[in-house]
Amino acid sequence: MATETTLLRAVGRWRHPLTSGGLAPALPAVLYLFIFMVLPIGTLLLFGFVNIERGRIVDGSFTLQPMIAALNDSLVWRLMWRSFWVAVVSTVLTLFLAYPLAYVYGELRGIWRTVVLVAIISPLLTSALVRAYAWLVILGGRRGIVNQALLSTGIIDEPLRLLNTDLAVLIGMTQIHLPFMILPLLAVLAERDKRLEEASLNLGASRTRTFFKVTVPMSMPAIIAGLALVFAVSYTNFIVPQLLGGGSYSTLAVQVYEQTIVVLDWTRGAVLATLLLGTCFLFVFLIVSVGGRLTRWSEARP
Amino acid sequence: MTRKRRSMAWIDRLGMAALVAVTAFTLLLLVAPSLIVIAISFEPRAYISFPPSGFTLRWYQAVLENRQLMDSVVVSLRTAALVMLICLLIGVPAAFASVRGRFPGKATLNAFLLSPQMMPGMVIGIASLFFGAYVAFRASNTMLVLSLSVFCLPFVIRITMARLAGLDPRLDEASANLGAGPLETFARVTMPQLAPAMLAAAAFTFIEAFDNVTVALFTSDVRGRPLPVELYYLVQFDSSPVIAAISSLEIILSFLVMLVIARTVGLDRLGR
Repeated sequence: MATETTLLRAVGRWRHPLTSGGLAPALPAVLYLFIFMVLPIGTLLLFGFVNIERGRIVDGSFTLQPMIAALNDSLVWRLMWRSFWVAVVSTVLTLFLAYPLAYVYGELRGIWRTVVLVAIISPLLTSALVRAYAWLVILGGRRGIVNQALLSTGIIDEPLRLLNTDLAVLIGMTQIHLPFMILPLLAVLAERDKRLEEASLNLGASRTRTFFKVTVPMSMPAIIAGLALVFAVSYTNFIVPQLLGGGSYSTLAVQVYEQTIVVLDWTRGAVLATLLLGTCFLFVFLIVSVGGRLTRWSEARP
Repeated sequence: MTRKRRSMAWIDRLGMAALVAVTAFTLLLLVAPSLIVIAISFEPRAYISFPPSGFTLRWYQAVLENRQLMDSVVVSLRTAALVMLICLLIGVPAAFASVRGRFPGKATLNAFLLSPQMMPGMVIGIASLFFGAYVAFRASNTMLVLSLSVFCLPFVIRITMARLAGLDPRLDEASANLGAGPLETFARVTMPQLAPAMLAAAAFTFIEAFDNVTVALFTSDVRGRPLPVELYYLVQFDSSPVIAAISSLEIILSFLVMLVIARTVGLDRLGR
């Protein structure tokens, strides 16, 4: 009897590590990320500043030359500019397409909500490759679906050149990244406090005015989150430009892929990847900080 | 006054119409490409046309008879299962520390745990390839599993965290007060409440790892490539409806996963 009580007390003192509120349960994940993310990213950054032969660093070969060469290369700047404007245009397009949908979703009830939600999530769970392929089929040459339709109805006589253009890349990127914009907006707009809008309407403001003065400011944080996320994934997407832009179409991200996998110039690949990652973080930081300022500014206004 | 009100209503109606029109267009844009892919997979002729000129299942048969494709499906299934396992094993405990932990630097820990989602898949892939070369470890399907787990870990942690934050810790205390030990409380009170989130996280991770091409292009084995990499090369050189057929199979798989998520944590939880 006495031993049993002692045993029970001993077990009682032993707290389960998962619920004891310590750091310990996170250690495996932290260690994992350190080995398989932090060290590799460190290697990636390092590889841009050394000479590499067969995947090994040549001893004592630290050099800034590849980075300087890349920064002096007008091609790099042209590709970065294209990556940038394509990402900006496609990000703005996703916002204008996603916002009305997220707003209307907030008004829906019951089965319609589920139907719309399935429509939003299903592309997210379909691989980006499959969706890029879909646009390849829709926009592609004479047999592309758009051209087939336009030719057979007699609207045009010659097939339009849709594939391998900026337009094709923009359409593909916008559609593929739409769910990333919709989901943050949905989280805010679906659960929004409608009393604020009702108050605005009762005070005599029109629906349009209420929408722009109450609803949109209320969802600013979600808009900024969506913009930052979609910009980042668009800026670094290399699949869509390759498939829909064609063989001669290149962006900074496409160039990183080609240097690393096709040309096998790892030093240059590493330099360009560093530039890609660095500028991406910079732009995302700008979106978040400027967005935050704008929100505060609009809140301060009467 | 009446005049002004009438003009306001006119603007409102226009705004409403625009809102509904854009919503309908966006919904169409989201769904139509997948439906078109499924439709053309039944095209009897050897090239793409829409609407299909007839109905055939020969492309599905071609997929099943294509040895290389089926091998890549097996590679992808195995990869996805292993990634799911790793992410659950290290991600779920990490979520506990993130939500229930009481220690300084918790915000930093959370930021670090979720940081892979800031990294483009390509950067994770190339970084793994370079680090592997540095430690004399070649691109292989082991490397693919290890690097994809980095990519997918935030999904598991986020979904588990969201559920865990919604649980009432007092239930655990009540269980302890009623005489249950910590292990019993964990097994009979905490886990059953957490199980749906873990199932959803597992399903989501599985599909992300199965579909991933941005990490896989850099880290997968040259022989025995996973399905997305195989498709990536196929899409550039082949225009027969075979790709539509395999894409349709992927779309169906993603629908099954969605069903699992809908039945467990609810689809609307995914975005948070």
